[in-house]
Amino acid sequence: MSTGARSRRRTRWLPRTGQAVAIALALFWSLAPVYWMLATSFKTELEATQLEPTLWPLHPTLANYAGLSGSSLPFVAFFLNTAISCLLTAVIALAIATPAAYALSRGRFLLRGPFSYGILLFRMLPLVVMLAPLYLLLMMAHLLDSTAGLVVGFTTFGLPFAVWMMKSFIDAVPIEIEEAARVDGYGRLQILLKVVLPLVLPGLLTTATFVFMDAWNNLIYPLTFITSLSKQTLPAALVLTFTGQFKTDWGGMMAASTLTTLPLMIAFFAVQRSIVRGLVAGALAGA
Amino acid sequence: MAVLGVVIGYPVVYTLVLSTQQFNLLDTAPARFIGGANYTHLTTDPIFWSSLVNTAIYTLGSVTIAAFIGLVLALLTENLLGWRFRAVRALLLTPWAVPFVVVAFLFRYMYLQDGSVINAVLLRLGLIAQPVLWLNNATLALPAIMVANIWTMVPFFFLLLSAALAAVPTEVIEAASIDRAGTFSMIIYIKLPFLKSALLVSSLLMVISNVNDFAKIWAMTEGGPGYSTTTLVVYVYRLAFEDFNFGYASAIGVVWLMLLLGFAWLYLRMLRMP
Repeated sequence: MSTGARSRRRTRWLPRTGQAVAIALALFWSLAPVYWMLATSFKTELEATQLEPTLWPLHPTLANYAGLSGSSLPFVAFFLNTAISCLLTAVIALAIATPAAYALSRGRFLLRGPFSYGILLFRMLPLVVMLAPLYLLLMMAHLLDSTAGLVVGFTTFGLPFAVWMMKSFIDAVPIEIEEAARVDGYGRLQILLKVVLPLVLPGLLTTATFVFMDAWNNLIYPLTFITSLSKQTLPAALVLTFTGQFKTDWGGMMAASTLTTLPLMIAFFAVQRSIVRGLVAGALAGA
Repeated sequence: MAVLGVVIGYPVVYTLVLSTQQFNLLDTAPARFIGGANYTHLTTDPIFWSSLVNTAIYTLGSVTIAAFIGLVLALLTENLLGWRFRAVRALLLTPWAVPFVVVAFLFRYMYLQDGSVINAVLLRLGLIAQPVLWLNNATLALPAIMVANIWTMVPFFFLLLSAALAAVPTEVIEAASIDRAGTFSMIIYIKLPFLKSALLVSSLLMVISNVNDFAKIWAMTEGGPGYSTTTLVVYVYRLAFEDFNFGYASAIGVVWLMLLLGFAWLYLRMLRMP
Protein backbone atom coordinates (compact mmCIF):
# COMPACT_ATOMS: atom_id res chain seq x y z
CA MET A 1 0.00 0.00 0.00
CA SER A 2 1.34 3.40 -0.94
CA THR A 3 2.02 6.04 1.65
CA GLY A 4 -0.61 8.16 -0.04
CA ALA A 5 -3.35 5.74 0.84
CA ARG A 6 -2.10 5.62 4.40
CA SER A 7 -2.03 9.32 5.00
CA ARG A 8 -5.50 9.47 3.55
CA ARG A 9 -6.71 6.89 6.01
CA ARG A 10 -5.52 9.11 8.80
CA THR A 11 -7.61 12.11 7.84
CA ARG A 12 -9.92 12.60 10.75
CA TRP A 13 -12.85 14.88 11.00
CA LEU A 14 -13.48 14.19 14.64
CA PRO A 15 -11.09 13.78 17.55
CA ARG A 16 -10.47 10.17 18.47
CA THR A 17 -12.71 10.18 21.54
CA GLY A 18 -15.51 11.92 19.68
CA GLN A 19 -15.33 9.28 16.99
CA ALA A 20 -15.38 6.47 19.54
CA VAL A 21 -18.43 7.93 21.25
CA ALA A 22 -20.23 8.41 17.94
CA ILE A 23 -19.53 4.84 16.87
CA ALA A 24 -20.67 3.55 20.24
CA LEU A 25 -23.91 5.48 19.81
CA ALA A 26 -24.39 4.07 16.32
CA LEU A 27 -23.83 0.54 17.60
CA PHE A 28 -26.31 1.15 20.40
CA TRP A 29 -28.91 2.40 17.94
CA SER A 30 -28.46 -0.64 15.71
CA LEU A 31 -28.25 -3.32 18.36
CA ALA A 32 -30.42 -2.17 21.26
CA PRO A 33 -33.74 -3.18 19.63
CA VAL A 34 -32.33 -6.60 18.72
CA TYR A 35 -31.08 -7.03 22.27
CA TRP A 36 -34.48 -6.04 23.58
CA MET A 37 -36.15 -8.68 21.44
CA LEU A 38 -33.77 -11.38 22.70
CA ALA A 39 -33.99 -10.28 26.32
CA THR A 40 -37.78 -10.16 26.26
CA SER A 41 -38.00 -13.61 24.72
CA PHE A 42 -36.37 -15.02 27.86
CA LYS A 43 -38.57 -13.11 30.29
CA THR A 44 -41.61 -14.49 32.04
CA GLU A 45 -44.94 -13.21 30.81
CA LEU A 46 -45.32 -11.09 33.93
CA GLU A 47 -41.88 -9.55 33.63
CA ALA A 48 -42.32 -8.73 29.94
CA THR A 49 -45.34 -6.56 30.58
CA GLN A 50 -44.64 -5.12 34.02
CA LEU A 51 -44.84 -1.37 34.40
CA GLU A 52 -41.15 -0.87 35.12
CA PRO A 53 -39.23 -2.78 32.40
CA THR A 54 -36.16 -4.74 33.50
CA LEU A 55 -32.90 -4.35 31.61
CA TRP A 56 -32.22 -8.09 31.53
CA PRO A 57 -34.38 -11.09 32.40
CA LEU A 58 -34.43 -11.45 36.18
CA HIS A 59 -35.66 -15.01 35.98
CA PRO A 60 -34.46 -16.24 32.58
CA THR A 61 -36.80 -18.87 31.21
CA LEU A 62 -37.20 -20.90 28.07
CA ALA A 63 -40.94 -21.11 28.65
CA ASN A 64 -41.70 -18.80 25.73
CA TYR A 65 -39.87 -21.05 23.28
CA ALA A 66 -41.33 -24.19 24.80
CA GLY A 67 -44.73 -22.57 24.57
CA LEU A 68 -44.28 -22.11 20.83
CA SER A 69 -43.58 -25.76 20.10
CA GLY A 70 -46.34 -26.88 22.42
CA SER A 71 -48.93 -24.39 21.24
CA SER A 72 -51.91 -25.24 19.10
CA LEU A 73 -50.39 -23.23 16.27
CA PRO A 74 -48.27 -25.16 13.77
CA PHE A 75 -45.09 -23.09 14.01
CA VAL A 76 -42.99 -25.76 12.37
CA ALA A 77 -45.36 -25.72 9.41
CA PHE A 78 -45.24 -21.92 9.22
CA PHE A 79 -41.48 -22.07 9.21
CA LEU A 80 -41.36 -24.75 6.52
CA ASN A 81 -43.92 -22.91 4.36
CA THR A 82 -41.86 -19.75 4.49
CA ALA A 83 -38.51 -21.42 3.94
CA ILE A 84 -39.75 -23.54 1.03
CA SER A 85 -41.60 -20.77 -0.78
CA CYS A 86 -38.76 -18.28 -0.37
CA LEU A 87 -36.07 -20.72 -1.47
CA LEU A 88 -38.10 -21.85 -4.46
CA THR A 89 -38.68 -18.23 -5.40
CA ALA A 90 -34.97 -17.45 -5.25
CA VAL A 91 -34.07 -20.48 -7.36
CA ILE A 92 -36.78 -19.95 -9.98
CA ALA A 93 -36.19 -16.20 -10.22
CA LEU A 94 -32.46 -16.69 -10.76
CA ALA A 95 -32.98 -19.52 -13.23
CA ILE A 96 -35.09 -17.22 -15.40
CA ALA A 97 -33.22 -14.02 -14.69
CA THR A 98 -29.71 -15.18 -15.48
CA PRO A 99 -30.27 -16.12 -19.15
CA ALA A 100 -32.51 -13.09 -19.58
CA ALA A 101 -29.88 -10.80 -18.11
CA TYR A 102 -27.22 -12.40 -20.27
CA ALA A 103 -29.29 -11.82 -23.37
CA LEU A 104 -29.89 -8.20 -22.41
CA SER A 105 -26.26 -7.63 -21.62
CA ARG A 106 -24.65 -9.30 -24.62
CA GLY A 107 -27.35 -9.81 -27.19
CA ARG A 108 -27.92 -7.38 -30.03
CA PHE A 109 -31.56 -7.39 -30.92
CA LEU A 110 -34.39 -5.06 -31.69
CA LEU A 111 -35.81 -3.08 -28.76
CA ARG A 112 -33.04 -4.17 -26.44
CA GLY A 113 -32.78 -0.72 -24.86
CA PRO A 114 -36.50 -0.17 -24.25
CA PHE A 115 -36.73 -3.71 -22.95
CA SER A 116 -34.06 -3.10 -20.31
CA TYR A 117 -35.68 0.12 -19.18
CA GLY A 118 -39.04 -1.60 -19.19
CA ILE A 119 -37.76 -4.14 -16.71
CA LEU A 120 -36.42 -1.39 -14.50
CA LEU A 121 -39.83 0.26 -14.58
CA PHE A 122 -41.59 -2.97 -13.71
CA ARG A 123 -39.38 -3.11 -10.68
CA MET A 124 -40.96 0.15 -9.62
CA LEU A 125 -44.49 -1.15 -9.97
CA PRO A 126 -46.27 -0.92 -6.71
CA LEU A 127 -46.86 -4.37 -5.29
CA VAL A 128 -50.49 -3.50 -4.86
CA VAL A 129 -51.04 -2.80 -8.55
CA MET A 130 -50.25 -6.45 -9.12
CA LEU A 131 -52.36 -7.61 -6.22
CA ALA A 132 -55.85 -7.60 -7.73
CA PRO A 133 -54.90 -9.08 -11.12
CA LEU A 134 -52.62 -11.66 -9.53
CA TYR A 135 -55.38 -12.67 -7.16
CA LEU A 136 -57.81 -13.19 -10.01
CA LEU A 137 -55.17 -14.96 -12.07
CA LEU A 138 -54.34 -17.37 -9.26
CA MET A 139 -58.02 -17.89 -8.63
CA MET A 140 -58.56 -18.94 -12.23
CA ALA A 141 -55.52 -21.21 -12.12
CA HIS A 142 -56.77 -22.72 -8.83
CA LEU A 143 -53.54 -21.74 -7.17
CA LEU A 144 -55.01 -19.66 -4.38
CA ASP A 145 -54.23 -20.98 -0.94
CA SER A 146 -51.22 -22.98 -2.11
CA THR A 147 -47.48 -22.63 -1.78
CA ALA A 148 -47.17 -22.80 -5.57
CA GLY A 149 -49.40 -19.74 -5.93
CA LEU A 150 -47.32 -17.93 -3.37
CA VAL A 151 -44.14 -18.74 -5.28
CA VAL A 152 -45.72 -17.34 -8.46
CA GLY A 153 -46.57 -14.14 -6.60
CA PHE A 154 -43.14 -13.75 -5.05
CA THR A 155 -41.47 -14.47 -8.36
CA THR A 156 -43.38 -11.80 -10.28
CA PHE A 157 -42.10 -9.31 -7.77
CA GLY A 158 -38.53 -10.60 -7.47
CA LEU A 159 -37.87 -11.29 -11.12
CA PRO A 160 -37.45 -7.75 -12.55
CA PHE A 161 -35.07 -6.89 -9.75
CA ALA A 162 -33.11 -10.08 -10.31
CA VAL A 163 -32.80 -9.40 -14.04
CA TRP A 164 -31.64 -5.88 -13.43
CA MET A 165 -29.03 -6.89 -10.84
CA MET A 166 -27.75 -9.82 -12.88
CA LYS A 167 -27.47 -7.63 -15.95
CA SER A 168 -25.14 -5.22 -14.19
CA PHE A 169 -23.01 -8.10 -12.93
CA ILE A 170 -22.73 -9.61 -16.39
CA ASP A 171 -21.99 -6.18 -17.86
CA ALA A 172 -18.95 -6.05 -15.61
CA VAL A 173 -17.47 -9.27 -17.06
CA PRO A 174 -14.89 -8.33 -19.72
CA ILE A 175 -16.16 -9.38 -23.12
CA GLU A 176 -12.62 -10.46 -24.12
CA ILE A 177 -12.91 -13.48 -21.85
CA GLU A 178 -15.96 -14.62 -23.74
CA GLU A 179 -14.33 -14.00 -27.07
CA ALA A 180 -11.40 -16.15 -26.02
CA ALA A 181 -13.84 -18.90 -25.07
CA ARG A 182 -15.57 -18.60 -28.41
CA VAL A 183 -12.23 -19.04 -30.18
CA ASP A 184 -11.81 -22.22 -28.15
CA GLY A 185 -15.03 -23.47 -29.73
CA TYR A 186 -17.53 -22.87 -26.93
CA GLY A 187 -21.17 -22.33 -27.84
CA ARG A 188 -23.35 -19.55 -26.39
CA LEU A 189 -24.87 -21.73 -23.71
CA GLN A 190 -21.51 -23.22 -22.81
CA ILE A 191 -20.03 -19.75 -22.48
CA LEU A 192 -22.86 -18.71 -20.19
CA LEU A 193 -22.61 -21.82 -18.01
CA LYS A 194 -18.87 -22.44 -17.94
CA VAL A 195 -17.33 -19.00 -18.36
CA VAL A 196 -19.73 -16.26 -17.27
CA LEU A 197 -21.55 -18.02 -14.46
CA PRO A 198 -18.47 -18.83 -12.36
CA LEU A 199 -17.33 -15.22 -12.72
CA VAL A 200 -20.62 -13.72 -11.54
CA LEU A 201 -21.12 -16.20 -8.71
CA PRO A 202 -20.83 -13.54 -5.96
CA GLY A 203 -23.37 -11.49 -7.86
CA LEU A 204 -25.65 -14.47 -8.25
CA LEU A 205 -25.46 -15.17 -4.54
CA THR A 206 -26.16 -11.54 -3.70
CA THR A 207 -29.14 -11.36 -6.00
CA ALA A 208 -30.51 -14.64 -4.69
CA THR A 209 -30.17 -13.40 -1.11
CA PHE A 210 -32.05 -10.24 -1.95
CA VAL A 211 -34.85 -12.08 -3.70
CA PHE A 212 -35.01 -14.48 -0.76
CA MET A 213 -35.14 -11.64 1.77
CA ASP A 214 -37.72 -9.75 -0.25
CA ALA A 215 -39.94 -12.80 -0.29
CA TRP A 216 -39.39 -13.40 3.40
CA ASN A 217 -40.36 -9.79 4.10
CA ASN A 218 -43.44 -9.95 1.90
CA LEU A 219 -46.54 -9.80 4.02
CA ILE A 220 -49.23 -8.68 1.64
CA TYR A 221 -49.12 -11.69 -0.71
CA PRO A 222 -49.42 -14.42 1.91
CA LEU A 223 -52.13 -12.45 3.69
CA THR A 224 -54.22 -12.23 0.56
CA PHE A 225 -53.42 -15.45 -1.32
CA ILE A 226 -53.38 -17.91 1.58
CA THR A 227 -56.58 -18.56 3.46
CA SER A 228 -55.94 -21.65 5.58
CA LEU A 229 -53.76 -21.03 8.59
CA SER A 230 -51.74 -24.24 8.20
CA LYS A 231 -50.42 -23.03 4.82
CA GLN A 232 -49.50 -19.58 6.08
CA THR A 233 -45.99 -18.12 6.19
CA LEU A 234 -44.29 -17.06 9.40
CA PRO A 235 -44.60 -13.27 8.99
CA ALA A 236 -48.27 -13.48 8.08
CA ALA A 237 -48.89 -15.98 10.85
CA LEU A 238 -47.34 -13.56 13.34
CA VAL A 239 -49.74 -10.85 12.24
CA LEU A 240 -52.75 -13.15 12.22
CA THR A 241 -52.07 -14.77 15.57
CA PHE A 242 -51.21 -11.50 17.23
CA THR A 243 -54.85 -10.62 17.49
CA GLY A 244 -55.47 -13.91 19.26
CA GLN A 245 -52.89 -15.84 21.19
CA PHE A 246 -50.25 -13.16 21.61
CA LYS A 247 -52.48 -10.26 22.52
CA THR A 248 -50.63 -9.65 25.77
CA ASP A 249 -48.04 -12.39 25.63
CA TRP A 250 -45.12 -10.22 24.50
CA GLY A 251 -42.59 -12.77 25.72
CA GLY A 252 -44.06 -15.40 23.41
CA MET A 253 -44.32 -12.84 20.62
CA MET A 254 -40.65 -11.95 20.95
CA ALA A 255 -39.67 -15.63 21.04
CA ALA A 256 -41.59 -16.17 17.80
CA SER A 257 -39.98 -13.03 16.37
CA THR A 258 -36.52 -14.26 17.29
CA LEU A 259 -37.19 -17.53 15.48
CA THR A 260 -38.47 -15.63 12.44
CA THR A 261 -35.34 -13.50 12.40
CA LEU A 262 -32.79 -16.25 12.92
CA PRO A 263 -32.85 -17.87 9.44
CA LEU A 264 -32.67 -14.49 7.73
CA MET A 265 -29.83 -13.39 9.98
CA ILE A 266 -27.91 -16.58 9.22
CA ALA A 267 -28.48 -16.28 5.48
CA PHE A 268 -27.48 -12.64 5.56
CA PHE A 269 -24.25 -13.07 7.46
CA ALA A 270 -23.29 -16.20 5.56
CA VAL A 271 -23.19 -14.23 2.32
CA GLN A 272 -22.40 -10.82 3.80
CA ARG A 273 -19.00 -10.60 2.17
CA SER A 274 -20.29 -11.33 -1.27
CA ILE A 275 -23.22 -8.96 -0.70
CA VAL A 276 -20.78 -6.18 -0.01
CA ARG A 277 -18.77 -6.96 -3.12
CA GLY A 278 -21.83 -7.73 -5.21
CA LEU A 279 -23.79 -4.63 -4.29
CA VAL A 280 -20.85 -2.39 -4.97
CA ALA A 281 -20.29 -3.94 -8.37
CA GLY A 282 -23.97 -4.25 -9.19
CA ALA A 283 -25.87 -1.31 -7.84
CA LEU A 284 -23.18 1.26 -8.40
CA ALA A 285 -22.11 0.06 -11.83
CA GLY A 286 -25.72 -0.34 -12.84
CA ALA A 287 -26.29 3.37 -12.54
CA MET B 1 -38.05 -13.58 -22.62
CA ALA B 2 -41.65 -14.27 -23.52
CA VAL B 3 -42.19 -15.80 -20.09
CA LEU B 4 -40.86 -12.64 -18.55
CA GLY B 5 -43.22 -10.52 -20.58
CA VAL B 6 -46.24 -12.57 -19.66
CA VAL B 7 -45.44 -12.90 -15.97
CA ILE B 8 -45.00 -9.19 -15.41
CA GLY B 9 -46.87 -7.71 -18.35
CA TYR B 10 -50.16 -9.48 -17.83
CA PRO B 11 -50.98 -8.02 -14.40
CA VAL B 12 -50.31 -4.51 -15.64
CA VAL B 13 -52.61 -4.77 -18.62
CA TYR B 14 -55.22 -6.46 -16.51
CA THR B 15 -55.06 -3.65 -13.97
CA LEU B 16 -55.73 -1.13 -16.72
CA VAL B 17 -58.79 -3.10 -17.81
CA LEU B 18 -60.06 -3.54 -14.27
CA SER B 19 -59.72 0.16 -13.54
CA THR B 20 -62.44 0.99 -16.06
CA GLN B 21 -64.88 -1.51 -14.63
CA GLN B 22 -67.41 -1.61 -11.88
CA PHE B 23 -66.13 -4.81 -10.40
CA ASN B 24 -66.84 -6.09 -6.93
CA LEU B 25 -66.22 -9.71 -5.98
CA LEU B 26 -69.07 -9.55 -3.47
CA ASP B 27 -71.56 -8.40 -6.12
CA THR B 28 -73.45 -11.07 -7.94
CA ALA B 29 -73.55 -8.81 -10.98
CA PRO B 30 -70.71 -9.40 -13.46
CA ALA B 31 -68.06 -6.79 -14.09
CA ARG B 32 -69.30 -3.97 -16.25
CA PHE B 33 -67.55 -1.23 -18.14
CA ILE B 34 -67.99 2.21 -16.58
CA GLY B 35 -65.27 4.17 -18.34
CA GLY B 36 -63.63 6.86 -16.27
CA ALA B 37 -66.10 6.79 -13.38
CA ASN B 38 -63.57 5.23 -11.01
CA TYR B 39 -61.18 8.03 -11.84
CA THR B 40 -63.68 10.84 -11.27
CA HIS B 41 -64.60 9.30 -7.95
CA LEU B 42 -60.91 9.39 -7.08
CA THR B 43 -60.59 13.16 -7.34
CA THR B 44 -63.21 13.71 -4.64
CA ASP B 45 -62.09 10.94 -2.32
CA PRO B 46 -60.48 12.59 0.73
CA ILE B 47 -58.95 9.33 1.93
CA PHE B 48 -57.15 8.92 -1.38
CA TRP B 49 -55.59 12.37 -1.02
CA SER B 50 -54.63 11.91 2.60
CA SER B 51 -53.05 8.54 1.84
CA LEU B 52 -51.15 10.13 -1.03
CA VAL B 53 -49.77 12.75 1.36
CA ASN B 54 -48.98 10.10 3.96
CA THR B 55 -47.11 8.05 1.36
CA ALA B 56 -45.06 11.08 0.37
CA ILE B 57 -44.19 12.01 3.96
CA TYR B 58 -43.43 8.43 4.90
CA THR B 59 -41.26 7.73 1.88
CA LEU B 60 -39.38 10.99 1.43
CA GLY B 61 -38.99 11.60 5.17
CA SER B 62 -37.65 8.14 5.95
CA VAL B 63 -35.37 7.96 2.93
CA THR B 64 -33.85 11.40 3.50
CA ILE B 65 -33.15 10.85 7.17
CA ALA B 66 -31.88 7.31 6.67
CA ALA B 67 -29.58 8.44 3.86
CA PHE B 68 -28.21 11.19 6.07
CA ILE B 69 -27.56 8.84 9.00
CA GLY B 70 -26.02 6.29 6.64
CA LEU B 71 -23.73 8.98 5.24
CA VAL B 72 -22.62 10.10 8.69
CA LEU B 73 -21.90 6.49 9.68
CA ALA B 74 -19.94 5.89 6.49
CA LEU B 75 -17.80 8.99 7.13
CA LEU B 76 -17.45 8.06 10.76
CA THR B 77 -16.06 4.60 10.08
CA GLU B 78 -14.00 5.59 7.06
CA ASN B 79 -10.63 5.55 8.78
CA LEU B 80 -11.15 2.31 10.68
CA LEU B 81 -8.92 -0.45 9.41
CA GLY B 82 -8.93 -4.23 9.15
CA TRP B 83 -10.88 -6.30 11.64
CA ARG B 84 -12.15 -3.26 13.49
CA PHE B 85 -13.89 -2.04 10.37
CA ARG B 86 -15.24 -5.47 9.51
CA ALA B 87 -16.58 -5.95 13.04
CA VAL B 88 -18.20 -2.52 13.24
CA ARG B 89 -19.64 -2.93 9.76
CA ALA B 90 -21.12 -6.36 10.51
CA LEU B 91 -22.74 -5.03 13.69
CA LEU B 92 -24.08 -1.92 12.00
CA LEU B 93 -25.61 -4.08 9.26
CA THR B 94 -27.58 -6.22 11.73
CA PRO B 95 -30.92 -4.35 11.47
CA TRP B 96 -30.96 -5.18 7.77
CA ALA B 97 -31.38 -8.86 8.51
CA VAL B 98 -34.41 -8.40 10.75
CA PRO B 99 -37.63 -9.21 8.86
CA PHE B 100 -40.01 -6.26 8.47
CA VAL B 101 -42.81 -7.89 10.41
CA VAL B 102 -40.49 -8.53 13.30
CA VAL B 103 -39.28 -4.93 13.19
CA ALA B 104 -42.89 -3.84 13.34
CA PHE B 105 -43.77 -5.98 16.35
CA LEU B 106 -40.53 -5.20 18.12
CA PHE B 107 -41.10 -1.46 17.85
CA ARG B 108 -44.76 -1.86 18.64
CA TYR B 109 -43.70 -3.55 21.86
CA MET B 110 -41.16 -0.83 22.60
CA TYR B 111 -43.81 1.83 21.98
CA LEU B 112 -46.43 0.41 24.39
CA GLN B 113 -47.98 2.91 26.75
CA ASP B 114 -47.26 1.07 29.96
CA GLY B 115 -44.10 -0.84 30.64
CA SER B 116 -42.47 -0.06 27.31
CA VAL B 117 -38.77 0.59 27.22
CA ILE B 118 -39.01 3.83 25.23
CA ASN B 119 -41.46 5.46 27.61
CA ALA B 120 -39.53 4.19 30.63
CA VAL B 121 -36.26 5.67 29.37
CA LEU B 122 -37.82 9.00 28.39
CA LEU B 123 -39.58 9.23 31.76
CA ARG B 124 -36.37 8.46 33.60
CA LEU B 125 -34.56 11.16 31.63
CA GLY B 126 -37.36 13.58 32.44
CA LEU B 127 -38.08 14.29 28.77
CA ILE B 128 -41.75 13.41 29.11
CA ALA B 129 -44.01 13.82 32.13
CA GLN B 130 -46.21 10.81 31.53
CA PRO B 131 -46.20 7.75 29.27
CA VAL B 132 -46.95 8.63 25.66
CA LEU B 133 -49.34 6.59 23.53
CA TRP B 134 -47.05 6.62 20.50
CA LEU B 135 -49.04 4.53 18.07
CA ASN B 136 -52.52 5.58 19.19
CA ASN B 137 -51.92 9.25 18.59
CA ALA B 138 -52.89 10.53 15.17
CA THR B 139 -49.97 12.96 14.95
CA LEU B 140 -47.30 10.74 16.51
CA ALA B 141 -48.14 7.42 14.86
CA LEU B 142 -46.64 8.14 11.44
CA PRO B 143 -43.33 9.54 12.79
CA ALA B 144 -43.17 6.59 15.19
CA ILE B 145 -43.44 4.11 12.32
CA MET B 146 -40.88 6.13 10.38
CA VAL B 147 -38.36 5.68 13.19
CA ALA B 148 -38.72 1.92 12.89
CA ASN B 149 -38.48 2.22 9.12
CA ILE B 150 -35.34 4.35 9.29
CA TRP B 151 -33.83 1.82 11.64
CA THR B 152 -34.10 -0.92 9.02
CA MET B 153 -32.92 1.28 6.15
CA VAL B 154 -29.77 2.87 7.56
CA PRO B 155 -27.57 -0.23 7.02
CA PHE B 156 -28.27 -0.21 3.30
CA PHE B 157 -27.18 3.41 2.89
CA PHE B 158 -24.24 2.89 5.21
CA LEU B 159 -22.99 -0.05 3.16
CA LEU B 160 -23.34 1.56 -0.27
CA LEU B 161 -21.92 4.90 0.81
CA SER B 162 -18.96 3.28 2.58
CA ALA B 163 -18.15 1.49 -0.64
CA ALA B 164 -18.50 4.65 -2.69
CA LEU B 165 -16.35 6.55 -0.21
CA ALA B 166 -13.58 3.98 -0.49
CA ALA B 167 -13.66 4.49 -4.25
CA VAL B 168 -12.86 8.22 -4.07
CA PRO B 169 -9.47 8.52 -5.79
CA THR B 170 -6.62 8.94 -3.33
CA GLU B 171 -4.97 11.66 -5.44
CA VAL B 172 -7.98 13.92 -5.08
CA ILE B 173 -7.92 13.65 -1.31
CA GLU B 174 -4.17 14.24 -1.23
CA ALA B 175 -4.36 17.28 -3.45
CA ALA B 176 -7.09 18.71 -1.25
CA SER B 177 -5.15 18.14 1.94
CA ILE B 178 -2.07 19.80 0.44
CA ASP B 179 -4.31 22.78 -0.24
CA ARG B 180 -5.17 22.61 3.46
CA ALA B 181 -8.81 21.88 2.93
CA GLY B 182 -10.56 21.77 6.30
CA THR B 183 -12.27 18.57 7.36
CA PHE B 184 -15.77 19.79 6.62
CA SER B 185 -14.97 21.49 3.35
CA MET B 186 -13.17 18.26 2.43
CA ILE B 187 -16.38 16.33 3.04
CA ILE B 188 -18.70 18.78 1.34
CA TYR B 189 -16.66 19.85 -1.68
CA ILE B 190 -14.43 16.86 -2.31
CA LYS B 191 -16.15 13.72 -1.11
CA LEU B 192 -19.86 14.42 -1.56
CA PRO B 193 -19.67 15.01 -5.31
CA PHE B 194 -18.14 11.55 -5.67
CA LEU B 195 -20.97 10.07 -3.68
CA LYS B 196 -23.72 11.62 -5.78
CA SER B 197 -24.49 8.69 -8.02
CA ALA B 198 -24.29 6.20 -5.14
CA LEU B 199 -26.68 8.39 -3.16
CA LEU B 200 -29.10 8.70 -6.06
CA VAL B 201 -29.13 5.01 -6.91
CA SER B 202 -29.49 3.84 -3.32
CA SER B 203 -32.23 6.34 -2.52
CA LEU B 204 -34.11 5.41 -5.70
CA LEU B 205 -34.08 1.76 -4.65
CA MET B 206 -35.25 2.68 -1.17
CA VAL B 207 -37.98 5.02 -2.43
CA ILE B 208 -39.34 2.12 -4.46
CA SER B 209 -39.32 -0.26 -1.55
CA ASN B 210 -40.82 2.37 0.78
CA VAL B 211 -43.69 3.25 -1.49
CA ASN B 212 -44.44 -0.47 -1.45
CA ASP B 213 -44.05 -0.86 2.27
CA PHE B 214 -47.02 -2.67 3.68
CA ALA B 215 -45.64 -4.97 6.36
CA LYS B 216 -44.37 -2.39 8.82
CA ILE B 217 -47.40 -0.12 8.69
CA TRP B 218 -49.94 -2.93 8.70
CA ALA B 219 -48.35 -4.80 11.59
CA MET B 220 -47.93 -1.65 13.69
CA THR B 221 -51.17 0.28 13.20
CA GLU B 222 -53.17 -1.23 10.32
CA GLY B 223 -53.31 2.32 8.96
CA GLY B 224 -54.88 3.84 12.05
CA PRO B 225 -55.72 5.61 14.25
CA GLY B 226 -58.36 6.89 11.88
CA TYR B 227 -56.59 7.14 8.54
CA SER B 228 -53.52 8.87 9.99
CA THR B 229 -51.06 6.19 8.89
CA THR B 230 -52.95 4.93 5.85
CA THR B 231 -50.62 5.04 2.86
CA LEU B 232 -51.62 4.13 -0.68
CA VAL B 233 -50.66 0.47 -0.25
CA VAL B 234 -52.74 0.16 2.89
CA TYR B 235 -55.68 1.94 1.28
CA VAL B 236 -55.63 -0.19 -1.84
CA TYR B 237 -55.32 -3.32 0.26
CA ARG B 238 -58.36 -2.30 2.30
CA LEU B 239 -60.36 -1.46 -0.81
CA ALA B 240 -59.48 -4.66 -2.59
CA PHE B 241 -59.49 -7.20 0.18
CA GLU B 242 -61.88 -5.84 2.75
CA ASP B 243 -64.44 -4.27 0.40
CA PHE B 244 -63.44 -6.41 -2.62
CA ASN B 245 -63.82 -3.31 -4.76
CA PHE B 246 -61.27 -4.39 -7.37
CA GLY B 247 -62.25 -1.80 -9.97
CA TYR B 248 -61.68 1.23 -7.80
CA ALA B 249 -58.55 -0.27 -6.23
CA SER B 250 -57.11 -0.80 -9.70
CA ALA B 251 -57.84 2.80 -10.69
CA ILE B 252 -55.76 3.98 -7.76
CA GLY B 253 -53.05 1.57 -8.82
CA VAL B 254 -52.98 3.10 -12.30
CA VAL B 255 -52.75 6.68 -11.01
CA TRP B 256 -50.00 5.55 -8.73
CA LEU B 257 -48.18 3.95 -11.61
CA MET B 258 -48.30 7.24 -13.52
CA LEU B 259 -46.86 9.11 -10.54
CA LEU B 260 -44.06 6.58 -10.22
CA LEU B 261 -43.25 6.78 -13.91
CA GLY B 262 -42.97 10.55 -13.62
CA PHE B 263 -40.76 10.17 -10.63
CA ALA B 264 -38.54 7.62 -12.35
CA TRP B 265 -38.19 9.86 -15.39
CA LEU B 266 -37.12 12.77 -13.20
CA TYR B 267 -34.66 10.51 -11.50
CA LEU B 268 -33.04 9.22 -14.64
CA ARG B 269 -32.60 12.80 -15.79
CA MET B 270 -30.94 13.76 -12.53
CA LEU B 271 -28.65 10.79 -12.84
CA ARG B 272 -27.54 11.79 -16.32
CA MET B 273 -26.79 15.36 -15.30
CA PRO B 274 -23.06 16.01 -14.94
